[in-house]
Amino acid sequence: MVNPEAAGLIALSAAIAVSATGIAAALGEQVIGSAAIGVMAEDEGFFGRGLVMTVIPESIVIFGLVVALILLFVALPSV
Amino acid sequence: MFEPQPMTKVIIAGSKDYMNIAVDAMHKHDVVHIADFVDEDEDFKIGKPDERITNLSERAVSIRSIASYLNIKGKEDIPNKYPEGAIIDTIDAKTKQLDFEVKQVTNSISEIESKIKDVKDKKRLLEPLKSFDLPLDLYTGYRSLAVFVGTLKGSLTISDITSDYELETVPYGRGHAIALFVPREFEDEVLKRLQEQSYAALPLSEMEGIPKDILANLDAQLTELQSEKQKHEEDVADVRQKYIEYILASDEYLSIETQKAEAPLRFATTKNAFIVEGWVPTKDLEPVQRDMDRATNGHVIVAVDTSEAEDVEKVPVALKNPLPSRPLEVLIKAFSIPKYDEIDPTTLMTFMYPFLFGIMLGDIGYGAVVIALGLLVSRRVKSKGIRDLAVIGIYAGVLSIIFGFIFNEFFGVEVFGNRGLLTFIQYPVIPRLDNVLILLIATLVIGLLMLSLGFVLGFVNEYRQHGLKHAVFAKVSWLCMLWGGVLVITLILPPLTSRTGIQLSVGLVGGLAVAVIGFVLLIMGEGVIGIAELPSLLSNVLSYSRLLSIGISSAGIALAVNKLSYALFLSKGGVFIIFGALMLLVGHAVNTVLGILDSGLQALRLHYVEFFTKFYRGGGIKYKPFGFERKYTEEK
Repeated sequence: MVNPEAAGLIALSAAIAVSATGIAAALGEQVIGSAAIGVMAEDEGFFGRGLVMTVIPESIVIFGLVVALILLFVALPSV
Repeated sequence: MFEPQPMTKVIIAGSKDYMNIAVDAMHKHDVVHIADFVDEDEDFKIGKPDERITNLSERAVSIRSIASYLNIKGKEDIPNKYPEGAIIDTIDAKTKQLDFEVKQVTNSISEIESKIKDVKDKKRLLEPLKSFDLPLDLYTGYRSLAVFVGTLKGSLTISDITSDYELETVPYGRGHAIALFVPREFEDEVLKRLQEQSYAALPLSEMEGIPKDILANLDAQLTELQSEKQKHEEDVADVRQKYIEYILASDEYLSIETQKAEAPLRFATTKNAFIVEGWVPTKDLEPVQRDMDRATNGHVIVAVDTSEAEDVEKVPVALKNPLPSRPLEVLIKAFSIPKYDEIDPTTLMTFMYPFLFGIMLGDIGYGAVVIALGLLVSRRVKSKGIRDLAVIGIYAGVLSIIFGFIFNEFFGVEVFGNRGLLTFIQYPVIPRLDNVLILLIATLVIGLLMLSLGFVLGFVNEYRQHGLKHAVFAKVSWLCMLWGGVLVITLILPPLTSRTGIQLSVGLVGGLAVAVIGFVLLIMGEGVIGIAELPSLLSNVLSYSRLLSIGISSAGIALAVNKLSYALFLSKGGVFIIFGALMLLVGHAVNTVLGILDSGLQALRLHYVEFFTKFYRGGGIKYKPFGFERKYTEEK
């Protein structure tokens, strides 16, 4: 580790990438999830499609995770 | 395997005189999916239910009320099936007899229950007076004295009204129980004072003697009544035991007969004839035709109708998969049943779902736990849906163990060094926490392959439903963009990260060209609006990186549990080993639950969201044959 400050910033960035996208995904899923449960109360056959719609915002947090992984395992070793 | 059960459209028609026989024959075979007749006109009317229906429903009501008295739920197992003939002959007499027996017992029970309630009421009344020794008849019947017997919330002083009184009080509940004797002339004033303290009078009627004695007597009565009630309840259990098989069987028999009697409501009828439209699995057609012919002496025909065979939207879908794949049908049905001309992805999912699950869980120990749980549940649980899920769990557990060997994880511990378990077979071991970048790329490759497969299947579906041109526009376009894009990105990403210049190469130009061709096809097929869909291609591929991230978090938790329990307890020895073992147990149990839930749901999501959207729409009609799955009766 040559530059501890840069390393610290990279680690912090990774944390922000995961946590911010996590919150964003949660906000999205909150709305869709409750609506999907509402439809399922009327029609149980909606489960599959309901699940699909509910997890769509989850891609956001996966992107955050990918960014974090790249930061930690690719960018961090090179500073 | 990839297609649903082939169906043949049939028209069953004949004289109304033979309708009941035809219904019986159809019901027995349990293969005809009846398309309900709805469009009434001058010639064709919806049929009327058989006249037996009133009688049948009445019997069903009495049998079911008896069943609910006896707490028979209809899910019980009985050793032998009841012959249907024995029910038909005796149902009236036997139901009457049963009704009589049940009513007798339940009536005496409710009689006793009302007596018990009486006794309890009396007890509650007398309870406050328990410690007063005055016989009850001395509380009433005075000309010059007013008597107040009851309960108060607060305490009472009436010495300012009169000093001529007799008051007994004992603490009772949160307040007091009192017996107060005052001269008549002060009655109103004292009552007002009492009411300020929330006085509640006790109505003491028809009882004589000292409260304590009465209470003791009531207690004895209560014990006796309760033992009597218990005796009768044992009688109910005896009746239940004696008749349970008959009740379950006759309920089923009545359900079947009602179903048959109501069947004409789904038929088209004229004055003298009836017509049923329906679908029969092609393999079952011949026996139905033969039996119908024999049963009705040729008066009802089962004719194959080819006129509407093109209208695939209306064909009911019965999934047809090899036995090992059948449990996976649960996951397909949860999404949507395929249309008749759509590819049924169940068989593919049999391989891919456990594969994705295994990559995520990827631990020999956890995989073994999943298999054990699956075996346990599939043995113990009766519900078919849950059992199917358990079998899927077993498949997934096997793959988890295989990937556990590759990732070299056993409850988060690298058990076999870096060589792997089988020393005589050299295979590469890839510990996940040390190979993040390689595994990340591997997951994206899995994503690419799965999406490509999805587009290919989508091509087949589109080709079948809308023809070649549409299939090329809708699916080949995406395939071109996907692989062209991949080629371009793999060629320009390394120079970008290492800050060397991008070399112009055949691959780069080719990739760009393929991607552009795909893009043009897309615009031609879907118009400019197609551009809005473009980013989803990238996000779909990247979405597969969850295979790694879920796996790493699961492996990370396992590692943390191991290291913590070692550092905190195991390293200290002695009693601490017990604590350490406990921590290991709890920690890994929690991680197993998390791992199963997360891996299961995420693997499902990768199918539903990323894979299915490329080719699968669903929305087919479920095949529901006219018939009954007998559980308690045997056909005559």
